[in-house]
Amino acid sequence: MENEQVLTKPYSEDPLPTPKKKSAMSNKRAERIFLFLMLALPLLQWLIFWLYVHLDSFILAFQDKRTGEFTFQNFEKFWEMLTSPKGEIKIALKNTLIYFSTEIIILLPVSLLLSYFLYKKILFYKGFRVIFYLPAIVSSMVMVETYTSFISPNGPIAKLLELFGGSIPPQGLLANASTATTTIVVYCIWTGFCGNVLLFGSAMARVPMEILESARLEGCGPFRELVQLILPLIWPTMSTQIIFTCTGIFNSSGPILLFTNGAYETETLAFWIFAQIYGGGKYGGSGNYNIVSATGLCFTLVGAPLILFIRWLFDKIPTVEY
Amino acid sequence: MKTEKKKRSFVKRIGKRESESILTKRSTPEKILFGIVFVIFALYALTLVLPFVFMFISSLKSSLEYIDDLIAGSTLGLPDKWMFSNYVLAFTEMSVQDSMGKDVYLPQMLLNSIWYTAECIFASVGASALTGYCLSKYRFKLRGFLYGIAIFSMTIPIIGSSGAAMKLAYNLGIYNTPLYPLLTGFSGFGFNFLILYGFFSGIPWSYAEAVFMDGGGHGTTFFKIMLPQAWPAMLTLSIMTFISAWNNYMTPLLYLPDFPTMASGIYRIKLTFTRGGNYPAYYAGLLVSTLPVVLLFICFSDIIMKNFTVGGLKG
Repeated sequence: MENEQVLTKPYSEDPLPTPKKKSAMSNKRAERIFLFLMLALPLLQWLIFWLYVHLDSFILAFQDKRTGEFTFQNFEKFWEMLTSPKGEIKIALKNTLIYFSTEIIILLPVSLLLSYFLYKKILFYKGFRVIFYLPAIVSSMVMVETYTSFISPNGPIAKLLELFGGSIPPQGLLANASTATTTIVVYCIWTGFCGNVLLFGSAMARVPMEILESARLEGCGPFRELVQLILPLIWPTMSTQIIFTCTGIFNSSGPILLFTNGAYETETLAFWIFAQIYGGGKYGGSGNYNIVSATGLCFTLVGAPLILFIRWLFDKIPTVEY
Repeated sequence: MKTEKKKRSFVKRIGKRESESILTKRSTPEKILFGIVFVIFALYALTLVLPFVFMFISSLKSSLEYIDDLIAGSTLGLPDKWMFSNYVLAFTEMSVQDSMGKDVYLPQMLLNSIWYTAECIFASVGASALTGYCLSKYRFKLRGFLYGIAIFSMTIPIIGSSGAAMKLAYNLGIYNTPLYPLLTGFSGFGFNFLILYGFFSGIPWSYAEAVFMDGGGHGTTFFKIMLPQAWPAMLTLSIMTFISAWNNYMTPLLYLPDFPTMASGIYRIKLTFTRGGNYPAYYAGLLVSTLPVVLLFICFSDIIMKNFTVGGLKG
């Protein structure tokens, strides 16, 4: 509401206190020049590094890698890799959806709960808030190295499991196709709350205390307070975060490069694309941009309508202004 | 003096009032719930602090002791002899080779990290400030279109364009050059835009009107009035960009192979450990590489927590 008020009385509607038409014209011109100077570079950057790149990617999808001639070969290869029993893209897609589901089903709701208790000033909340954010500020290499050491067959987790009669297989959890992806997903859960906790925490901090106080006077408990009061009040932030998570549906991944480099059926779509591009073939990547573009185009065609539908759906949910 | 006293007593009164708020009073079931949650939080926090303890202890062991401890399962055991020399070794002996076969050591990687991060901050926050300000404060023909492309670029899940991006970087001659992060990062229509757009929208236009009255122009308004007011948001975004650029190993690996940063360089060092390596020195390097971000976060955590807000996507 406040934003709208600011926008409805911009400079152009209430110009300078000069009644002369000529002066108004020159002011309008000055405004145009200012806007041009301010926006030209960012717009040019967008045109080159976003629009051109995506248009070129579209063209690449229909081009032969060697001759550059028009072909559907890339899509045929994509389909083969998607449908064959041990197809790279089939495995990558399955894993990607696992990571995405983890984000939506586990990370978002649990982050909301974490943020709520921090907002409610649980004992040592300031310290928790900083510590919970550590995975976002520390290089994932530090976290991955520690996690890998801890889950090694001789690591502390194995010792802990031994107390309960369990064990970790001698080859480790990451060197086994049946456990590798789950192990990385657990890592993602362990380190994945930080960003959301920060965003939700900031949104909750803006919730008017009076609303919560009057609800409390009427006997509102913590669960109702969170679900019926705080959630609707922070919905703009929450919905934006859900939309962003859904937008990244096909980019959902863990740090595969650091864990297994794609071995043991841990590849995700994002990692598979990275592996094709990395070094343009020089450092082990295939350098086959055409198949990458064709794959990307197919998934974009699936993902775009889905996101548009989700956004349309979320737009239907009324937001509370305060 | 009197005013100071009055102010202090007022702040005290307010503080007291807040602490006496009905929201801080908890019933017995709530106390039990908060107690259980506290234990869970404490355990979770402990697991997040452990990596630093593990890294620090491991970085002070000798290579042999580290491997022995790993086999024996006492990864968190204290070192027999505290080898602080591993930190010197990390800087003097750990290196990767660039495409010309020249060794790049950790100090050079540190330098690469500094300029890479600085470029990312300047480009990303700078461009977003330009677009965020113009789109939030001016009504012009292209405004709706530009806001639309910002939201479209952010919310449409387009993947697989990295091949075309790599091709473009090659063709423009910016692949493997310091220009790459500057040009590709100068994006004014990303997540940072959304934050600054919201922030600038909240600053009253009357400030600008006052500048115009005094004969100032649009540039003066932006650089001297609006930009200084937006510093909390810009500082927050700069810190966030710093953290993500400093820790980003994927982009330097892909596009800047001859300019290994601390993140990408240390990853490449690890790759050379296929038949064993000096892990304690590697951990020392890794720990040193995280130091700047941890210090930055400790100094600015309050500012980040206060200013990192995102609203809805409706323009």
